[in-house]
Amino acid sequence: MISRPTTEQVLLDCCRVLEHDVLPGLSDETAQVRVVMLGKVLRNAAVRAAHEVAWMREETVQIEAYARAVAAATGSDGLRAAIDELGTGPHGSLHLADVVEVYVHASEALSLALEAALVAGCEELVREGELLLSARLAHENDVVGSWDSTGR
Amino acid sequence: MTPAALEGFLAVAEPGRRATVTDYRAITGGYSRLSAVAEVRWEDGAFERLVLRGDPPAGDGVFVSDRDAEWRILQALSRARAVPVARPRWYDATGEHFGTKCIVFDHVTGRSLQDVLREAGDDAVCGRAFVDTVAQIHATPLDALGTAVERPANWDDYLDGVLEVYRAVDRQIADSSPVLRYASALLVRHRPPPVPFTLVHGDCQPSNVLVTESGQHVVIDWEFARVGDPREDLGYYTQIPMQPNVYHRDRQAFLARYRERTGLTEEQINPRTVEYFLVVGMAHLLAQILQALDAVSRGESRGVMATYLINAVTHQYSLYLDICRGVTA
Repeated sequence: MISRPTTEQVLLDCCRVLEHDVLPGLSDETAQVRVVMLGKVLRNAAVRAAHEVAWMREETVQIEAYARAVAAATGSDGLRAAIDELGTGPHGSLHLADVVEVYVHASEALSLALEAALVAGCEELVREGELLLSARLAHENDVVGSWDSTGR
Repeated sequence: MTPAALEGFLAVAEPGRRATVTDYRAITGGYSRLSAVAEVRWEDGAFERLVLRGDPPAGDGVFVSDRDAEWRILQALSRARAVPVARPRWYDATGEHFGTKCIVFDHVTGRSLQDVLREAGDDAVCGRAFVDTVAQIHATPLDALGTAVERPANWDDYLDGVLEVYRAVDRQIADSSPVLRYASALLVRHRPPPVPFTLVHGDCQPSNVLVTESGQHVVIDWEFARVGDPREDLGYYTQIPMQPNVYHRDRQAFLARYRERTGLTEEQINPRTVEYFLVVGMAHLLAQILQALDAVSRGESRGVMATYLINAVTHQYSLYLDICRGVTA
């Protein structure tokens, strides 16, 4: 397959075309706003294309370890079931749909783990869970950059 | 929504008075409804400027609201005169004329308070006036609204219900949002002191306030209005990214002014309670964004707005996590 330009580079080039070639020729205000929004969406997609598989797999490993620690500390049956479910996912595949499937299971396990830690009053585990949420959001923020509500 | 549709609608709404649309243009800037401003000349020579507000085609767009409910609220507010609104004139309740349910208002000549604030720079007077307008919305007597707005039974159940929105949407969609689940689970256990229910605007920001030449503030865009906790409007405003944001410019002054205008206490109105109610005040809108993104993940298109609003979701999640950290600290 053609690997260079990368998907990230292809999408960023599309952004340049939209912003430098298409946008200046538009007189309709609604269309202008849509093109600006589309440029932002494509830039976000470029970052995701470059990193999302690696980020999701890194996070999944950390979440699974955390979920097991919370399950051991709280004995939550729901959490144990979610960890088992996570284990059945297609971990060996790097196809995006498979990575996402595993990541969604991991996210559910993280949600249940945080809820179980809260209910059990395990403050240290709650703080650890918050750190995982911070790491997740750091990746999301790397994708989106700033939020400026274009068009309003 | 077209000039011809407006002419046809007015012929039915005002039988015996023929109207010609002399100018018509779409209004950009809204994130939910379709809006247009039209100039109309009646055959008796009268001239009017009107605003049309309708739903986008089904399955298009992100935010859903009920035009029937908005029409009822607008009529009640217009009668109550507690807070100035653009006068609602007519309503195509079936979509028979415009192809979509559509409310027709009197046009208000004025500037967005957001623009006025931007030009005012460091002058705090306009910012105080915004706080006063918010307090004025919240001072609307609920009895004056009659049956136009549903009233929650009690504060605790109301709060539980709103926080449950996050858990419900997380169950409903294919993606998973641990931040929402955590915020919901944590905040339900750390309740601020209650305050009496009031009218809540639901999209409370200076962009939805028009300043007329006489300086009157006219509040527009009532589609998300409801009876709820007034701090929802304050919390909602804190996340508005347009600058200047007068809350963030001087939080203490903003809140002191609001307390002075409403008589609420510092225990009820402070930066912590306002942050808390950001999560509450955003619940329904954030749930709608997530539902739209879920539709996109199923192969449906909701226009560029849905995928663009991924940015807003990330912004909200970051704010929510900061709020949770503040609660657990």
